[in-house]
Amino acid sequence: MKELFPVKQVMGYIFSLVLTAVALSVYFLDMSFEVGLTILLVTAFIQAALQLVFFMHAGESTDKKAIYTNVYYGIAIALVTVFGTLLTLIWGYM
Amino acid sequence: MKIDNTGPLEYSTNQNQMNILGFWIFLGAEIMLFGTLFASYFTLENGVGSGPSGAEVFEITPVLLETIILLTSSFTIGLATHAMRINHKKATLVFLGITLLLGLSFLSVEIYEFIHYYHVGLTLQTSAFSAILLTTLGTHGAHVTFGLFWGLFIFLQIKKRGFTPETTNKSFIFSLYWHFLDVVWIFIFSFIYLKGMM
Repeated sequence: MKELFPVKQVMGYIFSLVLTAVALSVYFLDMSFEVGLTILLVTAFIQAALQLVFFMHAGESTDKKAIYTNVYYGIAIALVTVFGTLLTLIWGYM
Repeated sequence: MKIDNTGPLEYSTNQNQMNILGFWIFLGAEIMLFGTLFASYFTLENGVGSGPSGAEVFEITPVLLETIILLTSSFTIGLATHAMRINHKKATLVFLGITLLLGLSFLSVEIYEFIHYYHVGLTLQTSAFSAILLTTLGTHGAHVTFGLFWGLFIFLQIKKRGFTPETTNKSFIFSLYWHFLDVVWIFIFSFIYLKGMM
């Protein structure tokens, strides 16, 4: 039974629940919008990295360079899309 | 077909390795797809018109429930992959089954949530905000729905054929997909719900 629950996965799960609890603090505690958003940005990106490395086994095969390059490329384009949109359509008019 | 027995079975053939790499490329495209949805959401979220805003309709309980259910299912599919690698067929099927049941529970809560939105007057045509909210949530929900059927077929294949280079490869790729849906949900949870209720 024990061999079915590897420490790495269990720790990853517990850590992801802790991160969710930290993110929830922005709802239950009284804080400024800036502080809250910073907490959310930090917890969300750590959470995503955790899934990628702990659970998705990225980096265990010989083509890990291609896999990581592709993931970073996808993330870079997504971030440029999100922040470029905010810059041109929202922040520019504030 | 050349079989390499030094690594896990799902990597054992050249075709299998290509399938996994190919799926990562697909996930890269999915990251960009959700990136465009988030960009649109942040642009339109204040366009509530005469309809309700996010802060007025979001409820913490179902959202938190969905988050915990999805995080747990991401954990159990990880355990299924681990059980598969130590050649434990029964445990793999149990963990995969639990994952699918959790996925079904997630969808049930999400459907409840959509019905709630309908009752408080938030539909696809209410406002710019409601349109992009339901499109983003709906795209994620549609991915989960698709994953449920995909996972069910893989469950049946492993049950019937056991672990082969093909079935292990399919179930590994399915686990990547499922973890990815969890990652997307984390961003929806943080930047749509929590940010909206802050």
